[in-house]
Amino acid sequence: MTDTTQLLDARKLNCPLPILKAKKTISGMKSGETLKILATDPGSVRDFEAFANQTGHKLLQSTESNNEFHFILEKS
Amino acid sequence: MTECRPRDDLNSSMELEHIHKIALIGFFGATVFGAIASRTQFCTMGAISDWINMGSLTRFRVWFLAMGLAMIVTQILYLTGSIDLGESIYHTTSFTWLGYIAGGLLFGIGMTIGSGCGQRTVVRLGGGNLKSLIVLLVMGLTAYMTLRGILSIVRLNINEPTTWQLSDAGLASQGLHDIMSRLTGLPASTGAIVLTVLIGGGAIAFALMDRQVWSRFDNLLAGIGIGVLIAGAWYTTGVIGYDDFDPVQLEGVSFISPAGNTISYLMTFTGATINFGIAIVLGTLFGSFVYSLATGSFRVESFSDTSDLLNHVAGAMLMGFGGVLALGCTIGQGITGMSTLALSSILALGSIIIGCVFTLKVQYNLLDDTGIWKAVKATAWEMLGRKSSEE
Repeated sequence: MTDTTQLLDARKLNCPLPILKAKKTISGMKSGETLKILATDPGSVRDFEAFANQTGHKLLQSTESNNEFHFILEKS
Repeated sequence: MTECRPRDDLNSSMELEHIHKIALIGFFGATVFGAIASRTQFCTMGAISDWINMGSLTRFRVWFLAMGLAMIVTQILYLTGSIDLGESIYHTTSFTWLGYIAGGLLFGIGMTIGSGCGQRTVVRLGGGNLKSLIVLLVMGLTAYMTLRGILSIVRLNINEPTTWQLSDAGLASQGLHDIMSRLTGLPASTGAIVLTVLIGGGAIAFALMDRQVWSRFDNLLAGIGIGVLIAGAWYTTGVIGYDDFDPVQLEGVSFISPAGNTISYLMTFTGATINFGIAIVLGTLFGSFVYSLATGSFRVESFSDTSDLLNHVAGAMLMGFGGVLALGCTIGQGITGMSTLALSSILALGSIIIGCVFTLKVQYNLLDDTGIWKAVKATAWEMLGRKSSEE
């Protein structure tokens, strides 16, 4: 797995802001770079799965700990 | 007159029993609705966001499945004479076109900056989101002020000069089937069948074209469950609630005016009577709460900072005012109103979607740190299909 190159803190933000911010951040990254996202919105689990499926970016990690959701996306 | 008193007392007693029975059925139906919406994340704003931000139409198709199914079941109830949709607010011949459009646009903007529509707000609150508590209170109070308070002056000043009286044109209602009947001479019932097949059947076909919709249990549960429950509301108030001596207002599922009525009801409980809309709000909240507890997904969430609070308060105010002006929300006009084939529902729903899309694009452009006005201008140009002069 490639080292995480960027971190996006989307904690306490609700839909659609975590996806909007991830979309904007990843658009400025190079192919193969990874983005780690922190979120607290339970809907973000489904949102980032759908985002990865739809855009072709790889969802390398989707975990939950201490009421926080952590995602790692690799840009396609 | 004195000999009438015992009969009045008897009627009064029966009235309470009847409305409580209808409210109880509404509460239990809404409990299931709340649990389904919570489990499946049924959300109109989320569906539009998926479409605009990811290019995914799956959640939008699920929404269309619910709408199409609600329309077909509702029209069967109407065509078999079980309910008289002419008694619903959606079939009024006073066509407040500017209110439907302006209210829909404001509602669409409000639900995007307020993290979801009225239904989603109630469901989120049940799951422990305290942002939604503030949104629900502000939205409900603003809706009540727009219905009966100081904002009703604004509402009337928008609607009164722009109202079209459709009865002057010989129309029995603003239902598309009545309009079709007036234009073609076909019976209204034939128009209802044709339009239901075209719009309702078309919506279901559009939904089922996507394998993700029919191959995933949650998507089918949301589309079928919510569609049937919303049509079931017409059955509850129109068939079970029908009584020659003690009729219940024919109404479907909606969240904006009922949110205001719920706040009023809870504040004046000892002197107030519950109605179907209040039972829907309370049942949806209860269903979401029980579901989140049962699945361990209940979690308390609060605002990240002051701007987060301000955005949600502004969104709530826009939803409260816009929702009343448009005569409903994404559920009230979007599914319940559409199920009656009302022309206003098409205007209101289209305006809600445009308002939501516009705001989603503004939010995205704002991430460039260009400032709100530049983001609004860039979005307006983008939606008009032109390039901004500043690009």
